[in-house]
Amino acid sequence: MSEVKKLRVRLTFPQELIKEPVLFRMAKKYDVMPNIRRARVTDTFGEMILELEGTETNLQQGINSLREQGVVVELIEGDIIE
Amino acid sequence: MKYVKGLKCRECGREYPVEPIYVCEFCFGPLEAIYDYGKIKRALTRKTIEKRPKTLWRYKELLPIDGEPQVGLSSGFTPLVKADILAKYLGVKELYIKDDTVNHPTLSFKDRVVAVALTKAKEFGFDTVACASTGNLAHAVSAHGAKSGFNRFIFIPASLEQSKITASIVYEPNLVAVDGNYDDVNRLCSEIANKYRWAFVNINIRPFYAEGSKTIGFEIVEQLGWDTPDSIVVPCASGSLLTKVWKALKEFKEIGILKEVETKIYGAQATGCSPISTAFKQGTDVIRPVKPNTVAKSLAIGNPADGFYALQAVRESGGAMEDVSDEEIIDAIKLLAKTEGIFAETAGGVTLATYIKLLKEGKIDKKDCTVLCITGNGLKTAEVLDGKTAEVYHIKPNLASFEEALSMIKQKGGK
Repeated sequence: MSEVKKLRVRLTFPQELIKEPVLFRMAKKYDVMPNIRRARVTDTFGEMILELEGTETNLQQGINSLREQGVVVELIEGDIIE
Repeated sequence: MKYVKGLKCRECGREYPVEPIYVCEFCFGPLEAIYDYGKIKRALTRKTIEKRPKTLWRYKELLPIDGEPQVGLSSGFTPLVKADILAKYLGVKELYIKDDTVNHPTLSFKDRVVAVALTKAKEFGFDTVACASTGNLAHAVSAHGAKSGFNRFIFIPASLEQSKITASIVYEPNLVAVDGNYDDVNRLCSEIANKYRWAFVNINIRPFYAEGSKTIGFEIVEQLGWDTPDSIVVPCASGSLLTKVWKALKEFKEIGILKEVETKIYGAQATGCSPISTAFKQGTDVIRPVKPNTVAKSLAIGNPADGFYALQAVRESGGAMEDVSDEEIIDAIKLLAKTEGIFAETAGGVTLATYIKLLKEGKIDKKDCTVLCITGNGLKTAEVLDGKTAEVYHIKPNLASFEEALSMIKQKGGK
């Protein structure tokens, strides 16, 4: 069985996805457990800081599916390469 | 004596002890060093500072170390050059260049942050330091790490140009080229930082590392005769430098070295990577990550960790942000060189070009006393000027050929 990993990320949702249960669907489909720490939603965007827990493959597939739907997925550290 | 009280989350305010941690366990907000300013006020005065060696460590009470400085003992205290020729050219009253192109030993402001990060890494007992970088940070960690006896791991994207690799590998760190794009390298480094007990300077040591940038602000004030300029223009990559220059001014006021701070802070970005400037101009505090596409590689951070806080600092000070094209950046590098004799890397071009744009827009007054933070040496990015410099006069080895060239120079109005 693959090792379970945790990844801390910042999700930015475009306006058209704010009302959609994007995160829940991803979590269910790919067996990824989200642990939300901070979030804010305005008229024009949604932002969420959270931890995702799952196997490497599931995490990657889950993140890819979020990106394909238009969610920006970034590490909470920001860009590390300086 | 210890002057650091601990670390504090910039989002929820929860406090933590001084440890190699960088993120709040509860809200995942970034941690920042906090100090006992009452104690510092009693220990640090203008006179105390003036008696010390001219390095960044003359402000050591305001840096997050517990003991004596151990790394970068000759770094910092770079010249503040009064740029009269450039000022005249631009029609402004008073202009200064904070010249970190000559920082010791690796010719960029990264010598400051790495000096602090590696001193702290020694205090924590680490034997290995690491970073992910395509340029200035790699040079600084490689060099300071060599001098202070650390094992060093430098991660770079495998696609990095050979000239940039040479400037790091000469110090013989473990240079690891990662196959994959920037996102892949970022993620791998985050995983490595969480798994290995290393001092990853801009990850788990970041709260300490970032504080080194304050010394630019302290030095500007001291070199202006313990006064503040009307405006400071700071280049923005992660946004950290700008927030720390602002913090430096506020700390000097907090401990009584300055009575008032009325300086406006201006942020400079390249248009090809301008997530912070864009947010400023749109009047929002949402930083939307971008894919960088600019010659200013040292500022090419598409997802800036401190972007939100940089915006806050600019707005709090009453400043502004702007961004400039690659062409404007190159022109500004050449202008700074031919007027002030300072050869800056692309980030310096961004700063000067942005200043010129802000002057034209009337956002900086021509009567202001302004300081431009020029953060790195042009020899590091000389290739961006290929085919864009003035022409060379090729002659035969005889006097007639020289005089022919001389007449051509005079015809063109040369001196």
